[in-house]
Amino acid sequence: MDKIRVLIAKPGLDGHDRGALVISQALRDAGMEVIYTGLRQSPKQIVKAAIQEDVDVIGLSSLSGAHNVLFPEVLNVLKENEAEDILVFGGGVIPLEDVKTLEKKGILKIFTPGTSTKVVATFIEQAVRKHRGEYTGKIDPPKKIDHIGIAVHSLEESTAFYENHFQLKVQEIIEVPEQGVKVAFLPIGNMKLELLEPLGNNSPIHKFLNKRGEGVHHIALAVDNIQERLDQLKAQGVSLIDEVPKQGAAGYPIAFLNPKSTHGALLELCETKKGGE
Amino acid sequence: MEEEKSELRKWQESIEKELINRPEREKTFHTSSNITVNRSHFPSKIDSAYINNIGFPGEFPYTRGIRGTMYRGKHWTMRQYAGFGSAKETNKRFRYLLDQGQTGLSVAFDLPTQIGYDSDDPMALGEVGKVGVAIDSLEDMEMLFDQISLNQVSTSMTINAPAAVLLAMYIAVAEKQGVPTEEIQGTIQNDILKEYIARGTYIYPPKASMRLITDIFAYCSENVPAFNTISISGYHIREAGSTAVQELAFTLANGIAYVEAAIAAGLDVDRFAPRLAFFFNGHNGFFEEIAKFRAARRMWANIMRNRFHAKKPKSWQLRFHTQVAGSTLTAQQPENNVVRVALQALAAVLGGTQSLHTNGKDEALSLPTEESARIALRTQQIIAHETGVSDTVDPLGGSYFIEALTDDLEREAQKYIKQIDEMGGAVAAVEKQYMQREIHRAAYDTQKRLENQEDIVVGVNKFQVGDEQQPDLMKVDEAFVEAQLKRLTAIRNRRNEKKVQELLGQLRLAARGTDNLMYVIIEAVKEYATVGEICHALRDVFGEYQE
Repeated sequence: MDKIRVLIAKPGLDGHDRGALVISQALRDAGMEVIYTGLRQSPKQIVKAAIQEDVDVIGLSSLSGAHNVLFPEVLNVLKENEAEDILVFGGGVIPLEDVKTLEKKGILKIFTPGTSTKVVATFIEQAVRKHRGEYTGKIDPPKKIDHIGIAVHSLEESTAFYENHFQLKVQEIIEVPEQGVKVAFLPIGNMKLELLEPLGNNSPIHKFLNKRGEGVHHIALAVDNIQERLDQLKAQGVSLIDEVPKQGAAGYPIAFLNPKSTHGALLELCETKKGGE
Repeated sequence: MEEEKSELRKWQESIEKELINRPEREKTFHTSSNITVNRSHFPSKIDSAYINNIGFPGEFPYTRGIRGTMYRGKHWTMRQYAGFGSAKETNKRFRYLLDQGQTGLSVAFDLPTQIGYDSDDPMALGEVGKVGVAIDSLEDMEMLFDQISLNQVSTSMTINAPAAVLLAMYIAVAEKQGVPTEEIQGTIQNDILKEYIARGTYIYPPKASMRLITDIFAYCSENVPAFNTISISGYHIREAGSTAVQELAFTLANGIAYVEAAIAAGLDVDRFAPRLAFFFNGHNGFFEEIAKFRAARRMWANIMRNRFHAKKPKSWQLRFHTQVAGSTLTAQQPENNVVRVALQALAAVLGGTQSLHTNGKDEALSLPTEESARIALRTQQIIAHETGVSDTVDPLGGSYFIEALTDDLEREAQKYIKQIDEMGGAVAAVEKQYMQREIHRAAYDTQKRLENQEDIVVGVNKFQVGDEQQPDLMKVDEAFVEAQLKRLTAIRNRRNEKKVQELLGQLRLAARGTDNLMYVIIEAVKEYATVGEICHALRDVFGEYQE
């Protein structure tokens, strides 16, 4: 497989290139060929460079608020030059509202502040492989159940139950504010129980407990390549809660599927290899 | 022992004398428990090491502040950077901020203005009015300061490559208001070196840019004596990802380059040095930031006195503006930014800043709404009026940790400055991309630490909440662009075109020679020559900088 070639570009007059430079370096470290245009490039110059350099993908960065005009203009010029096969993604200080508009117009993805460079690299890798047809659509089935999540009122009381009656040991207790929970992991065989106690009244676990009481909350499947799996599910019409993985309890990427699409079970995917367990 | 006492007594007596003309805010200051708060505090033994390294507030080397009474005399200037859309819209925000108790103005210009393009230039596509106000001709500037008397406010303008043009317009507005130019106060950023290094709004190559800067120094020392002719900025260097030491070192290295250029242009150091101002970042590392400000003052005082042999104390004093770090604002849980801003602002105050901008909580998402701009200003007012931190001078002076950290930062920054000196100074280092590379390396390290969770950013890589709602954001009304273009065409039709072209011709001629360019630029703006036209005339002669 050929190396992925990326053009990182700064359209317009914005001079903030910290993000563009950091992304360039991160993509290089992820094994891609990256060309950075430098500042103040017009959409025409960007497209010309992209064609000359024969890139797979263009990454646009703007922090000046000009994205609504300049990003779609790059798509237009690509079209004029019959180079629509070059994918375009973007990033910067871009309000959510504009993110949706831009993605509708054909920008593959807008990454907003706080996105990890790993997420960006994985996304590009998969988008390009898929686009090149190197991605076969065949993905290995999940290897195992990583853990079963159980909603509880009190970690103290429920861990005591498992410790006293089953001699299971708490491996660690972590606060995972992403889900508004405090969790305890208890290894059992090659999987774990994940006990979830709500953090505050806005916690989804709090709502779950109110509605259904304590009990099984979700099942987490260990997958190799989470983004690929999510893309495939999405393409197959499965409703996703998270289209892009977020960081889970142990620091590795996770994503939830919408139970409406899964016949009632709340399924979590987790990729335990990347990011290290 | 006798001599030590007399040093302290001498300082006290000099303050007492100063108080006759500049009384402090209160006759006495005290805590809630009625304990008297002294003006400042000192070690029990005042020896020569103390006097040389730390010194008394308001005295060389100014480690403890450039004034003997600091905020007991007057609080820092609360100066919120603002500007968006049209001059009329921005004028409204300015008057709102002044009504809310803000004490100085700070103008944000849009990128076309900052890079010397008119709003109708193809290069301006999508950028007009976005990050600041669009200024094409003097007419816009007149609207910007409508009903604001230029002898009542001090105005800071974030303008660099075309600083001469915008300053000329400001002078012209003052004249139209009947305000003598000796009375106008403010600051132009005018710091081109950091544009090459970190901010990106350069136009001309370094040599021509340095000449424009020294022309401004010379013109202002004669005609606009109360204006700060440059604001040597570490802010953007830090935002681009540098460490605190790099911010300190590169800013002072740039400062050295400007002083050298001005001296080489034949100016007397004590004529222009008192009008040099600085602009630093107020970042997260609370104590390191405080130490950075203290180290900056001490280093600059030594540089000016020992390296450039300046004689006036005013030339030794490093005065600075602080803006808290925009790059630390998070798009996630934006309300947390209020707390970040408050802590960063507190560090700036404890470090003795002369003026301060606090960021709006939503600025990782867009320009601030009126509400977030108000909370940002209130944050400063709370620090000033509710915490008591401004009742004593340099409250952290003498802390073992702060003094050690101040020494450490100075030592590390000096290593960088030495290295830059050996490369031939800041201009040469910029041309070699030295500082750019150093900053990028630091920025990438920061990102990696963040992703490996070695550094924690609350709400970003820890303590996230799912399902975030974005708050209502400030929107710039796009409709104004059309109106702006119409007015620009109308101005071009209305003005004396022949006169304008004549003056632009004179400007090109002057640019080829050595005459001070300010005079003809002022003439040209008065005839409504535009920012773009003037900058293009200079591009014809100077060319453009290529990265």
